[in-house]
Parts: sequence; C-alpha cells; structure tokens
Amino acid sequence: MRLLHNYHYVAAMVLFCIGLYTVIVRRNIVKKLIGLNIMETSVFFFFISLGYLDGGMAPIRVGKADPSRMVNPLPQALILTGIVVAVSVTALALSLVILLYRQYGTLDVDRLMREEEQSETAEREERG
Amino acid sequence: MGAWRHFPILMITVPLLGAVLLPFLGYLRESWVPHVALLPLGFSTVLGFLLLGRIPSDGYLSYHLGGWEPPHGIEIRVDYVGLFLMLAICGITLLALVFSRHYISKEVSRGRRTAYFVLFLLMSGAMLGFAATGDIFNLFVFMEILALSSYALVAITGNRNAVRAAFKYVLMGAPSSIMVLLAIGFLYSATGSLNMADLAQRIAESGYTEVLTVSYILFVIGFGVKAALFPLHMWLPDAHSIAPSPISALLSGLLVEVSAFALLRITFSVFPRGAADLIGGTADAVGVAAAAAVLYGGIMAILQKDLKMMIAYSTISHIGYIFLGLTAFTAEGLTGAVYHMLDHGLAKACLFLCAGNFIYVKGYRRIEELKGAWRQMPWTCFAFALASISVIGIPPTAGFISKWYLILGNVRGEKWLYACVLLIGSILAAVYCFRVIYYMFFQAGREGAWEDSWNDAPPSMLTPVWMLSLGTLFFGIFSYLVIPSLLKAAAFLL
Repeated sequence: MRLLHNYHYVAAMVLFCIGLYTVIVRRNIVKKLIGLNIMETSVFFFFISLGYLDGGMAPIRVGKADPSRMVNPLPQALILTGIVVAVSVTALALSLVILLYRQYGTLDVDRLMREEEQSETAEREERG
Repeated sequence: MGAWRHFPILMITVPLLGAVLLPFLGYLRESWVPHVALLPLGFSTVLGFLLLGRIPSDGYLSYHLGGWEPPHGIEIRVDYVGLFLMLAICGITLLALVFSRHYISKEVSRGRRTAYFVLFLLMSGAMLGFAATGDIFNLFVFMEILALSSYALVAITGNRNAVRAAFKYVLMGAPSSIMVLLAIGFLYSATGSLNMADLAQRIAESGYTEVLTVSYILFVIGFGVKAALFPLHMWLPDAHSIAPSPISALLSGLLVEVSAFALLRITFSVFPRGAADLIGGTADAVGVAAAAAVLYGGIMAILQKDLKMMIAYSTISHIGYIFLGLTAFTAEGLTGAVYHMLDHGLAKACLFLCAGNFIYVKGYRRIEELKGAWRQMPWTCFAFALASISVIGIPPTAGFISKWYLILGNVRGEKWLYACVLLIGSILAAVYCFRVIYYMFFQAGREGAWEDSWNDAPPSMLTPVWMLSLGTLFFGIFSYLVIPSLLKAAAFLL
C-alpha cells in the first residue's frame, strides 16, 4: 500500500533505470545522450514530487495564508539550477558528437572503439 | 568583523569573475590573455596565505552568503583541512598556468587559446569552491562547473583522439553527476536540509536508515567515478594522457583529489559518527576497491609504453592510497590521506609537466624514446627523478611522510592487509618510476635522438616544474610544520 501511495517515487526510479540502461546498452551515441537526459529528467521529477502537496497552494505569503498548506518551493528552485546544468552538459556532449561524426564518420560506439584499436596498431607498424 | 572573513568567498569568486571577463580581453588582445589570467589566481593565492594563521586546527570559518543564516542560506565553511587543500589548489593551478603559455602555443590553435585560459580559470575557481562549500547542493553546482570545464579542456586541441577521450569522459562523468544529484535528493527527502552541519545533526535523529544508506551508496558511486576509483576508472587513462600536459597535471594532480575530498566531507562531516552502521558496509566496499586500485594501477603502469599513460595509471594507484586512508577511520589515516592529496598533487603535476617538456622540445611521448634524455634536458630529467622519488615514497620527500601516516593509520585501525597492500603499491611504483629514470640517465639513446648540448625547455616551463618538485622535498623535510595541526584537525573531523 505504501508503494502504491508513493507511486511518483516508483515512477521516478523506473525512469532513472530506463535512462541508465539506455546509456549503458545502446550503441548509438545520440541515443546514449537521450538516455542521459531521461536520467536527468527522472531526478528532476523526483525532486519536484518531494515538494508536492495534494491540494496545496503557491508559496506566496500574503496576509494570513497558512504556510503548512503551501507547496515546498525549495526543490523547484534547486531543479531550475539542475535544468541549467543539464542543458549545458547536453549542449557540450552534442557538440562533441558533431566533432566525432566529422572525424570518424560514425556514431556507433563499437566502431569508434575499433577505430581506436586500428589507429594504435597502425602506429605500431609505422614504428616497426 | 575583519575583512579577512570575506577572504574564502573572494578566493572562489575572483577566478570565476576573471573567467567571465577574460573573453573580452581575448577579443581585443589575445597575446595578453596568458599574463592577465595569472592575476585572479595570484590574488586567491595571496588571500589563502593571509588566511593561514587565522583558522584554528580544531575550528572553522563560516561565511554566510548574502547574509542569510544557515541552514537556510548557503554557507561557505573553511576548516583547516579545507584551507590546506585550497592552498594546494591555488599553488598548483598557478604553476600550471605559468607553464601553459609556451606549451599552448604549440598544441592549441590560435583561436582557441583564450577559451583555454577561460576554462582554466573556471576550473580553478570551481575547485576552490568545491573544497570550501558547506552546502551540499552548492557542492553539486561547483562539481558541475568543474566537470564541464574539464570535459571541454580535454577536447580543446580538437583532434580525433582528444574528442573521443572527452566523449568517453562525458559518458561516464555525466551519469555520475546525476547520481550525486539523486543522492542529494534522497538526503533532502529524509532530512529536509541541505546544509552539511545541519544534515549531520538531522541524520543522527532521522529514522529513514534505508534511504540514507542508498544515498551514501550513490554518493560513493558518483564521486567514485569523478575520482576514478578502481572499477569506475575507465575514462581516466585516455583523458589524462591525451589532454594538453598542464591540463593533465590539473586533472591528475587536483581534480581526482578534490573529488576524493568531497567524499571525505560526505563521510565525515555529513554522516556523523552515530551513523557508522549506515555507512560501515559501503565504506568496507570502498576499502576493497581502493586496495584493488592500488595494485591494478601499479601493474598497469608498469605495462605502459606511453609516458603520460604510465603517469595516468599511476594516478589510479594513488587514488587507491587516498581512499585507503579514508576507510581506515583513524586520525592518522585521515592525516595521511589529506597529506597525500597535497604531495600526490605536487608530484603528479610535476611528472605531467615534465612529460609536457619532452613533448614540447622533442615531441617524444613514448618511454623508450627517453633513453639518454639527460644529455639534452638535464633540468627536466632531474625534476622528474625528484618527483618520482616522492611518488615511490622514499625519504626525505613528502611521499614518504604521507605513506607513513597512511600505513600507520591502517595499522592503528587493525587493517593489516591494507597496510601490506600499501607497501606492495610502493614497490610497484618503484618499478615503473625507476624504469623511466634508468632509461633517462643510464641508457644510450638512438643515434641522433637527443642533442649532445643542453637545449632544455624555456625558463617559464622549467620554473614551475622545479618549484613543484622542490615542493615535494620541502613538504617532506618540513612536514612538522603541518602534520601536528592536520592530526588535530583530523581528530576534530572524526
């Protein structure tokens, strides 16, 4: 029953696991980044649901408003920062993806790693 | 209330502010940027030294951002251990910055040099903030500034391998940051606070033991990736060996240490002694991973053919040392860990900058190519040898002092196996360091590989290298200036 009552936490954790699975298992690096964003979103969701109050009101204190009936604004403030950070990481990672694609011509992680091995063996042969 | 109370926040914000203003200067006069970039870091260093006498070893300086009282406002809390680390950060970043000017002109193309120095300042400021903050969400923000600037700095040369190494680093680093954020979420949900000192009290009273345990495990995984603790180290060898050498020095000499320091903060400042049963099992697992790291890093370093790759694997081994000091849970072990952060930072930064000198002068990266190097580059070779001696831990260098306390701490904590592992790690370090020293001084190189006359790197590159290697000697001989206070501070933390 407690699990059913806290269904939003369960949803956040399921989403987190989906994201982590995508990051680890998918071979396409763009899909890995999407997985990363799913992970981020799940954590944001978790934070926001922490502050949620059923039937609560906006935390603006006017007159005799009762603070115990207000939604907790702190997680929302934190997540605003978190979103900025997540956007920056995504932007940086996507720019790296563009550079990778220009230089290797592939988005497949396995092939990227194989390229690395090939370039290393070529180097070794070059040196004799 | 003296002005010195504002020093910690100024130490952090001035480099960050410098990073914001530097692009404008780069737009007008790119050639001035390397010199002007020294100013904010120099300023922070001076403030750090001025603070030195003012913070007692069993107390702390608390600064409330914007005048908001903690636990509601953000607190900057500098204790003796934190100040010690901040000074190490200032010193090493300043020397690496001096080194950068010439080195960058070879490795980084013209349009990117301003970006390099901007990211450099951003990274330094973030590290200082990371070491000083007393608020756990603020810790996350500084960690992300640090991570983002280091991803970009690894890729700054823009060549194939650099981009690939940086992407590998992002793929491991970004999920680890999210795990830290989730851990913070769990802590907040169980206690309703974000201030570290406040958290420590509330955790002791909180009934949500499972949530707190999971939170601690997530912290360990998150910071474990950032610090490259053994099974999570995959990004490190590539990123550290492919980045420009001054950046390798920062990544290896400071970034991993600062991440280990964050875990120290979480373990000792946030989770109080009363919560030992919460984190005991995880801490044991960290100890096992750290012991494996010492051996794995050492063995892999012996097998490497590339000089920077060897130094990178040696870093993995030494991170194991630091974590073994933490998991001993004794004042001696903690002192050893903190002192090891300093001397490993100095020695590793020195080794990477020496490797940078070889690349700058000759373009040599492989260990075999160093045979007979001392004939042309004696200054670099001697500095390398001195730093290597500290890495191995031979007296009178600082490496000996920190390893002494690490082993003492593990013996006091009755962890005999780990004490043995620490000794074996030193033997492995001796193998991989003496191989390079032997090649440099006692082997004849290929015909024409080295000139017979002295033709070393320019003074602006040799000075930082020598200051770092003499630093390891200084902190070895004069360790009595610091160690008693550190022991007291460690006992205060425990």
